[in-house]
Amino acid sequence: MIEKKVKIINDAGLHTRPAATIVKLAAKFNSDFFIIRDGLSINGKSIIGVMTLAAEKGSELLLQFDGSDEEEAMETIVDYFERGFDEM
Amino acid sequence: MKDVDIDAFVKKEDITVEYFFEKAKEKFNIKLLTNALGMERKIIEQNLHRPGLALAGFVDLFSYKRVQICGNTEYKYLSQLSHEQRINSLEKLFKFELPCIILTDSNKPTSEMIELAEKFGIPVFGTDYPTTKLTYLVSDFLDDQFAPTYSIHGSFVDVYGVGMLFTGSSGIGKSEVALDLVERGHRLVADDVVILTKKGERILMGSGTNLVKHFMEIRGIGILDIRSMFGVRAIRYQKRLEIIIELEHWNKEHEYTRTGLENKTVKVGDVEIPYVRLPILPGKNITVVSEVLALNYLLKHYGFDAAKVLKKNLATKLKDQSSHIDRVIDDFEHDFE
Repeated sequence: MIEKKVKIINDAGLHTRPAATIVKLAAKFNSDFFIIRDGLSINGKSIIGVMTLAAEKGSELLLQFDGSDEEEAMETIVDYFERGFDEM
Repeated sequence: MKDVDIDAFVKKEDITVEYFFEKAKEKFNIKLLTNALGMERKIIEQNLHRPGLALAGFVDLFSYKRVQICGNTEYKYLSQLSHEQRINSLEKLFKFELPCIILTDSNKPTSEMIELAEKFGIPVFGTDYPTTKLTYLVSDFLDDQFAPTYSIHGSFVDVYGVGMLFTGSSGIGKSEVALDLVERGHRLVADDVVILTKKGERILMGSGTNLVKHFMEIRGIGILDIRSMFGVRAIRYQKRLEIIIELEHWNKEHEYTRTGLENKTVKVGDVEIPYVRLPILPGKNITVVSEVLALNYLLKHYGFDAAKVLKKNLATKLKDQSSHIDRVIDDFEHDFE
């Protein structure tokens, strides 16, 4: 299992469109993907789960990947967070 | 499903006095008697304290970090003191970092109390509730605030009054089962993110999150709101967790329950929850199986265990050496319908 902290950098925060993109990206990998905020762990492959986080600009999330393709999954998803969900 | 250790549960570290006041003012009829000073003070535990001995000067082991409840005893003690003695006594109390003080039974604070409270920046509240009742209510409220919680991925449905949590890997059809159950008149508690709260030693309460409430995602359709679609009868906010059902693809390596004589459980934060692993197979209607599981759970709860009854009947038959296999009815009585 590998994990990484990410920060939300776009103004609108983690709203519906990026949430949908994240679950679509995550669904391509076999690894389990969890996002943790304030100790609350949600499944990163579920749209409702990701929206539950209500992560606004500046908030910090911990991403956890566990499985055979965890490295690749982490790279893809962390990159999407670092691009500010392509809204920068 | 693996056991969930209690260490995986999270607990609030503290709440501010302001948050407490905001939530509690209507519930317990609490009014702020001082200026809004020290509202950022933190409450860190659910226990309450009566500061009688501290007022009398004994401050060893004084649990000053707790919310302090001043009842009639403390009030009577203070009122029979002279002005100087009262200041002296109250100062002993206020020099500690108390979160706040609540005066019960409509007792009015003395002027010295308000002055000192404002000097030290400690909020003082008043209520007309008697001490015993207020203590019970505030403890219960704080117990809830500091209860350990755990978020779990699954669909949580009240089936015939039994709290059933469906778990399993992404895309296995948990939400579809929940939707099917709702369609058959059962009630959705939460889909996707279920927050479990430990109450006491043996109870886990499940509920949804305030943002998502009864929204649900069905792959191929998108996001639905169960409350708008099926009405208020189809939802509820909270339910005790009573059975966990894990859905999985048929795995011939796994052994599935046949008789139901052995009760499998899974430990979630030290609470044993009955646990069933259901394989998804063609022709298997998970919704109906879930309803039957709930009914069987209820039957067992009310004292009838089908597996045990059949086991007993078999044992009786075996003792009766001469018995052979009989029809359930020995005479059709010309009823050939």
